[in-house]
Amino acid sequence: MNIVTDRPDARWLPSRHRFALARLIAYAKLRGSRVGEKNAEHLILPIDRDQTAAEMNGIATWIFATTVCYTAAMLPLIWPAAIVAAIPIAAIALHFPMVVIGPIVRMLIGDGDHIKIISVITMSLLVIASSYVAMSNSWSRYVAWFFFAVLIVNVAAAVVVWLLRGQIRAAEERCAR
Amino acid sequence: MTRSAWWRRFSVRGVFWRQGLRFAILNVPPWIEPMVMAFWSAFFLLWGPGRRGVMSNLKVIKPGSFSIVNFFRCYRVFWNYAWTIADNVRFKERRIIPDWEFAGWNHFQAMQASNGAILLTAHMGSYDLGAHLFSETSTRRIVMVRAPEEDLETRAFEENHGAEGLRIEFNTRATELAFDLLDTVREGAIVAIQGDRVMGSISTLPATFFGKPSNVPAGPFALAMAARVPIYPVFVVRMGRRRYRVITSRPIEITRSRDRDDDFARAVAQWMTELEDVVRGRWYQWFTFEPHWPEAAA
Repeated sequence: MNIVTDRPDARWLPSRHRFALARLIAYAKLRGSRVGEKNAEHLILPIDRDQTAAEMNGIATWIFATTVCYTAAMLPLIWPAAIVAAIPIAAIALHFPMVVIGPIVRMLIGDGDHIKIISVITMSLLVIASSYVAMSNSWSRYVAWFFFAVLIVNVAAAVVVWLLRGQIRAAEERCAR
Repeated sequence: MTRSAWWRRFSVRGVFWRQGLRFAILNVPPWIEPMVMAFWSAFFLLWGPGRRGVMSNLKVIKPGSFSIVNFFRCYRVFWNYAWTIADNVRFKERRIIPDWEFAGWNHFQAMQASNGAILLTAHMGSYDLGAHLFSETSTRRIVMVRAPEEDLETRAFEENHGAEGLRIEFNTRATELAFDLLDTVREGAIVAIQGDRVMGSISTLPATFFGKPSNVPAGPFALAMAARVPIYPVFVVRMGRRRYRVITSRPIEITRSRDRDDDFARAVAQWMTELEDVVRGRWYQWFTFEPHWPEAAA
């Protein structure tokens, strides 16, 4: 694993972010950050795509809230009660790809790191569920539309990141040198 | 395997949960992980003895606090514990390290440069992960002393899934271990010991912790005195998702005089001041699931 030492601005390396939108925001922050703003005496920052708290916590909250809304809309309860009931149900439902598909993947390809494949399956299931909800008449269709809006913005960000790939690489090399 | 032995794997310290954690580290997408952590932290609040232990300790750390507030604080302790053990397994299985910040870097460097030292730490943050990191980055050999897992299957599982490069000694064979560690320190190695609580029948020293009588393991202090090396209080505290701070305080020097008890008492008092400061500020990372002051629990 690559690491950067004593460069606080390296927190904003796009390579430390997973999704294109987060990478683009990180690149903007990296350009705007000043060298030398340091609140620790010594710093070790690994370069890993899943390192950033704001990105991962934000996405987890959004995915969970989306699943709660989809679940609540299916429950035959008035919406405040449905939301409360949907919270534990959604939490359990989101375990499905890991708990059910994880062992199947393990059986097929053996023990090891299956995060990439489980990630793709989970996101695909969310897209399928969102497509179904988006076409329904339920109030949760707005949540599904928002889900697709975020996906579209992320795809647009991916195009911009691809166009800026040379500049991003140069900025990263300057920081991580 | 008897039926009771089979069921024991599902007890809170059983191997089932270690296997489950490893499975999660290898299968849960990181962008869903915080939700999974929140769920399982809430689930483990069902562990009555652990929950009551944390709540009774919080009662002493935060005098006058309400039980209902301490219940939610207990959730915060479990949440932090879940993240730290997950980060530890992530490192062992996928070699992914968190962000590290250092405070007291000059003391840390002095420890690395010293010819043998005791690294005294507490059950806080990710002490296991910290020890593994030091073992890989330090030019000194690191020997970690810790209490073994109670459950035999869990112990075997941990031994099979340990990180390379770190020697771990268990504090069960006290006398022979003391001589081994003395030789190790004299050879210039750093011995990492947890000095905040006493587990099992090991020798202790009296201390005052949060104004109440307490005991700390005598081992690190006796070892420092015998080997004539300093004790460095080091705390590895969690600052956020995959982010830790290593706090190294000024060393505790144990000077020999005619009154051995007094020498120990001064060293223990300095250690307790450091420990109390860190635990007061970061009570949500003091992973002591048994009542530290049983009379307070009663």
